[in-house]
Amino acid sequence: MSAHAEENKFHLFVQIAMVLAVITGLEIVTVYMPFVSWLLVTALVVMSAVKFLFVIFIFMHLKWDKKFCTVLFFIGLILGGGTMWGLLKIFSAAASFPLSSQ
Amino acid sequence: MSTHAHAAAIDPHDDPTTTTGIPNKKLIMWTFLASDCMFFGCLISTHLIYRLHPAPGALVAKNVFSIELTSFSTFILLMSSLMMALAVDAIQKGNLKSMRGALATTIFFGLIFLGCQVYEFSHFVSEKHMTITNSMLGTTFFTLTGTHGLHVLIGVIWLTSMLIYSYTGRLTEKNAIDVEMMGLYWHFVDIVWIVIFTAVYLLEYVS
Repeated sequence: MSAHAEENKFHLFVQIAMVLAVITGLEIVTVYMPFVSWLLVTALVVMSAVKFLFVIFIFMHLKWDKKFCTVLFFIGLILGGGTMWGLLKIFSAAASFPLSSQ
Repeated sequence: MSTHAHAAAIDPHDDPTTTTGIPNKKLIMWTFLASDCMFFGCLISTHLIYRLHPAPGALVAKNVFSIELTSFSTFILLMSSLMMALAVDAIQKGNLKSMRGALATTIFFGLIFLGCQVYEFSHFVSEKHMTITNSMLGTTFFTLTGTHGLHVLIGVIWLTSMLIYSYTGRLTEKNAIDVEMMGLYWHFVDIVWIVIFTAVYLLEYVS
């Protein structure tokens, strides 16, 4: 990476932080919008994912690091996310509902 | 040679002494963070499962949570991430003074976040009568956010230790990797909170 690019990191970090703050503000406004639930949930998930990706690729330097770091982290992320998805699917089945909530 | 010129000779993204080209400390930290993803994935899904199937008469999370306080905490943690990134950038350029300032600010923001969490927990227990044992919401909420808070506390202790160590004169741009490892951990705490803020707090307000 060039020295010029290193110098510009300071400005990049500040700009990213401002973007993150604005997205957080938008998230809070979104929950009070009079739209259908699925649209609001999708919007929140997308905004959360954008914030997540900005932090890992810029603040955590994945953008500049060796690709193997990204692969390593995404293995954990996919396993963790897959476990979440699997558990939520299993416990969405009617037979898994707690008796007290039926 | 000036410290800036010296720093330019060290590439923080390439270590020719290892077979992967990645410093071993960085590799172990990314492996740990990947495993922590699975840990928090399980805690978050446990909370969501019980929220999807609440028992009759269960506490309504929307009536318990305070979106204003949580939004403030989220903003503070995001700004602490910025300061941490600036601290790593400063030490990589050999600017110890700037790194100390950025580290101190990160610690300050981390303490504010912890203070907000302590206030939130005590408010939930004393005013909303939600404890870790009297409701499923309380059990999953306190376990999840408490575990995250513990991570923040460990981060604050690590940051403070590094700040003190920087005054011994042994912390230079040559061991910027140590500050970078700490930064990775701190940013991870931030990304976990980004997910918790949406999954645990904001989704409760979507009717």
